[in-house]
Amino acid sequence: MSNAATMRPGRPALPEWVRRLPEYLMIWVPLLLSAAHLVSFSLWTIWISFTPSTLVPVAGWVGLRNYSAVAASRNWQIAFDNLLLFGSAFVLLSAATGLILAILLDQRIRGENVLRSIFLYPLAVSFVVTGTVWSWLLNPGLGIQKLIHDLGWTSFKFDWLIDRDMAIWTIVIAAIWQSSGFAMALFLAGLRSVDSDIIKAAQIDGAGPVRTYRRIILPSLWPITVTVVVIQLQFAISTFDLVRALTNGGPGIATQLPALVVYDLMFQRSLLGRGAAAAVLMLLILLAVLLPYAAWRYVQRRRAAHA
Amino acid sequence: MPITTTRRRLLAGSAAALAFPAFARAQGTAKPRLTAISQWSAGSDGAAITALGKKFEEKGGVWQHSPVPGFTTEMMNKLRAQIMAGDPPACSQLKGPEIAAWSKIAPTVNLDALVAAAGYEKVVAPDLAKLHKPGGKWIALPLQIYSTNMLFLSKRAMDKAKADKVPVTWADFNDLAEKMKTGDVAFPIANGGTRPDDGQKFEAALAGISPLAYRAAIMNLEKKALEGPEIKAAFVQVRKIADWMDPNVGAQHFSTNLKRFIDGDMGMMIMGGWAQGVLRNAGFKLEDFMIAPGPSDNGKPVFLLNADAFIFWQRKEPDLQAGQTLMAQLVMDPAIQTMYSQITGSIPVRTDVDLSGEGWSEGQRTTAKALKDAIASNQAVLSMAHNMAQENGMTAAMIDVITEYVKNKTIKPEQAAMRLAEAVEGAR
Repeated sequence: MSNAATMRPGRPALPEWVRRLPEYLMIWVPLLLSAAHLVSFSLWTIWISFTPSTLVPVAGWVGLRNYSAVAASRNWQIAFDNLLLFGSAFVLLSAATGLILAILLDQRIRGENVLRSIFLYPLAVSFVVTGTVWSWLLNPGLGIQKLIHDLGWTSFKFDWLIDRDMAIWTIVIAAIWQSSGFAMALFLAGLRSVDSDIIKAAQIDGAGPVRTYRRIILPSLWPITVTVVVIQLQFAISTFDLVRALTNGGPGIATQLPALVVYDLMFQRSLLGRGAAAAVLMLLILLAVLLPYAAWRYVQRRRAAHA
Repeated sequence: MPITTTRRRLLAGSAAALAFPAFARAQGTAKPRLTAISQWSAGSDGAAITALGKKFEEKGGVWQHSPVPGFTTEMMNKLRAQIMAGDPPACSQLKGPEIAAWSKIAPTVNLDALVAAAGYEKVVAPDLAKLHKPGGKWIALPLQIYSTNMLFLSKRAMDKAKADKVPVTWADFNDLAEKMKTGDVAFPIANGGTRPDDGQKFEAALAGISPLAYRAAIMNLEKKALEGPEIKAAFVQVRKIADWMDPNVGAQHFSTNLKRFIDGDMGMMIMGGWAQGVLRNAGFKLEDFMIAPGPSDNGKPVFLLNADAFIFWQRKEPDLQAGQTLMAQLVMDPAIQTMYSQITGSIPVRTDVDLSGEGWSEGQRTTAKALKDAIASNQAVLSMAHNMAQENGMTAAMIDVITEYVKNKTIKPEQAAMRLAEAVEGAR
């Protein structure tokens, strides 16, 4: 095409928009399609949540009845409490673990590449596999507790998986194992991007390594910390496969999470309307996290533009 | 060139026109073909349905079967997707009150003529027949029956407890469990940790304490019965059972523990008759365990009915319609029911099948006799845990309460009874 153009210089140049047409097509068509797909199905789910649908979607209007039924159910209440606990514990602990790993890796140690891959590797494992493996490790009759008992320490007890108060922590453990490597990678990139001149200046002023980290490096990491927290939070809210494989919401219904409740209502109980209502509630929780983040980003950008 | 084509077409056309009537006579109708979906939750299920497919092919049919792993609810998701896409299978598994519920969302085949021709109605338990003919017309056919409250006893555990008497009432059962506990059986009760597992313990307890209360509370959802003393008593019994179980089962399937049960580390198992098929499929011997009807306080067997059935969805294609006719005839055939039950460990739906012959186990004979006795004393009731008594939403709401109670020993029986009544109200 460009060859043809150069061969015939007398021909008038194509208008700008025609020349850029392939680019527009490449970007806008998929973007619009996926946005339409996402938006239309979200709207459809919202519509279903106001209908009396059970086995299959039906038209009709029941107002907020599905929402009040979901909110009043024990399953949802337990799931919501669990989400608060799991979400905050998981986000804080995985960020902390990731940060510590990143700082340790940042010490110009030998074999950094190998270690980095090892810590990142769990991310490549699917959640179902993670859940299944941890369900064996944490099962008192099969895993860690049995191993320690067999080694001779018979009073050792580690039965969180079957303890309904502690079971939610087993999900925290498995989730941290899975995703702290991800936090580590982001933090490591952040650590590496701190201006070395500032660090050198601090060293010349006589600051030790601890003080350098506390006063100079870590404060410069906070934009990355926000990113890590937001990404991990939206993961926590939509956690499904991990719990399903690890505890399946049990013991009893002690480790229910919102995504499990949605699945249960829609596909186990055949209550599409209520399932959709629970799904919309989940969307609202996600928005509660994402909207402040978007607002914060907006303010940041405005400030940067003005500076 | 165009002329030759026309001539050739003409020749071919006339040949076909001449041959077709003869062809149609020879073939009768189209070659029967069946698209079927079914659940696959135990190894013996798969083996039995494969054998049924072989029979279907022997009769000249084309068998297109897609099994779905898991319980009925998993299979329903596939069924829902196919119905919504306007392409229902010619035949699918479905059971209990769901037959009536689903028949409202897509047209089904009226099987009255085929059922009458086979004389099937006379040999099916009336309560069961009712579930398969919502609106008075047969649209689904039950194939096999299980009781969900059979009592399996490990021979080795019985030896350890120095016991040889099969418990009849819940008091006997509790005595035997205590004896096993003192006789070095690690856990007197073998159990899985899934939701139906917990639900089954409750329904076995309640129906064994009072079949009348079970019928009123669980099948008819009568408010008074749901708040009655029998519900509390059932929860008390469930707590005892829970205390005798291995707490480490987590969310495991009951079959995980079968070896420990046979070895005598676990003593008793309250499970559906399918456990016999699973035990046999896993290579265990029939002399290693005994099967009896679940405990019943009035001494007469209580039978918690669970029946697998096939529902037939309307299709226009003549080959699928022929396939549906053939499938319906096969499902009602006593020889097929015999073959099927002998693989899975269930009992046939037909009450006129003779179980005295070879190929039937003592456990199956016991089960068949229990069903007969239970029907006679009006103690054959529909299983809640396996979705025979109520639709899925209601069942799940009840099992929520039960499974939480089994796993959380700080909940008092009266609290659980109250929550059960509330859950029923909430799911209505």
